[in-house]
Amino acid sequence: MKFNFEYLLSVMPRLIDASLVNIRLALIIMALSVLLGTGLTILRAAKLPVVNEVIAVVISFVRGTPLLIQIFIAYYVLPSVGLDMRPEVAGVAAIAFNSMIFVSETLRGGLATIDPGQIEASTALGLPPRAIWYKVVLPQLFRRVIPVLINEATIVVKGTALLSVITVVEVLRTAQQISAASYRPFETLLGAALIFLVMNLVISLVGKFAEARYAVSRA
Amino acid sequence: MRFDPWMLLDYWELLLQGTWLTIRITVMALVLGYLLGIGVALLGMARSRTLRAIAGTYVEVLRNIPFIIILFLVYYGLPFSGVRMPALFAGTLALSLFVSAYYSEIVRAAILALPRGQFESARAIGMSPAQAMWNVVAPQVLRTIIPPSTNMTLTMMKESAVLSSITVPELTYQGLVIQGNTFAPFEVFAAITLIYWMIAIVIAETSRRLEARVGLAQRQSVTRNPIADRYLSLERRPAR
Repeated sequence: MKFNFEYLLSVMPRLIDASLVNIRLALIIMALSVLLGTGLTILRAAKLPVVNEVIAVVISFVRGTPLLIQIFIAYYVLPSVGLDMRPEVAGVAAIAFNSMIFVSETLRGGLATIDPGQIEASTALGLPPRAIWYKVVLPQLFRRVIPVLINEATIVVKGTALLSVITVVEVLRTAQQISAASYRPFETLLGAALIFLVMNLVISLVGKFAEARYAVSRA
Repeated sequence: MRFDPWMLLDYWELLLQGTWLTIRITVMALVLGYLLGIGVALLGMARSRTLRAIAGTYVEVLRNIPFIIILFLVYYGLPFSGVRMPALFAGTLALSLFVSAYYSEIVRAAILALPRGQFESARAIGMSPAQAMWNVVAPQVLRTIIPPSTNMTLTMMKESAVLSSITVPELTYQGLVIQGNTFAPFEVFAAITLIYWMIAIVIAETSRRLEARVGLAQRQSVTRNPIADRYLSLERRPAR
């Protein structure tokens, strides 16, 4: 069988339609993971006994096991404890949980780069903890971790392709459905690959702009 | 719901086979991926602009496409252009290609981080480019690449779970088989997860020993003041 470029072009519209699903899910996941990851980081900074030890085990678990398995757990195991979710919801929950941990670890690394003198100054001025977090620490922290968060966003976008295994109809699943009918897997899969390539290159490009615009001035 | 981990004992052989295959695949992809990665890294530093562009495209393409699509392209796609290969071979190849893109960036960054003078002075005292690379650059690069390579190897080991979707009988695949027979997802995934977790810990520990052996300096912990630590540190430390 020869490579058919026109066939590749003919499947692109359907794949591009399906890519909206990936984009929507990835946006929800990133919003959740940044929000929850920040919350988790603030919680860890409170250094409560037991809580931090439990979180440490959860982190080791999430970092030590495959995302695919985490997706399977959300999809197959959670229903048996009474949490029956649609495939999309289970998938978003699994990837967001995974990503939240990585965001929190990123923020932890960022915290180490913040000048301790600023915290001393804020404390001396009598700023309440809430203000220290929102006005002093977090704004600087997020500027510093932009490159890593952009990278995490491309990982999340790639992660949405895994949701095809739990029957979410996104780009890869659509490509599989098309090729099951046409017996042309190479062209359709290549189309799907192109879509992910473009999505992630756009994210990287936006990231470059964001970095130039918001990054700490390294004068 | 009943929790009955003992029924997994009936399937210990499948779990063991799956674990062993996952380990073998990881080791093969590590070796093959590193060989490819070094090749691509050197290509990326070639004098020719075309060669550099080829290396750059290789890395960008492989890093921006989900691994599951790379895998399917190798497994379902290549046979259509006349190359037919068994699932295990296709899976290991895809995994090696995937990880090689990241390894090559690690190697490239490590070489570029070395002062240029190292290579140049080795050349100046009469070493050939190959000798300078092997005797002067490589030993120093080795030190810098171990930590990031460990991270990437862990990611790759976890990514190998995706090989289950092209019927490679590794750990995840065996888990899905057992789950199909027993309808006990909780026990099965708990077991699989624990095994992956243990493999990850073994890899991390091996790398730590390797680091100690090549004499990687322990990063000193920054001494901080207790006020700043309230916000900037996430670890509880014993009071001094």
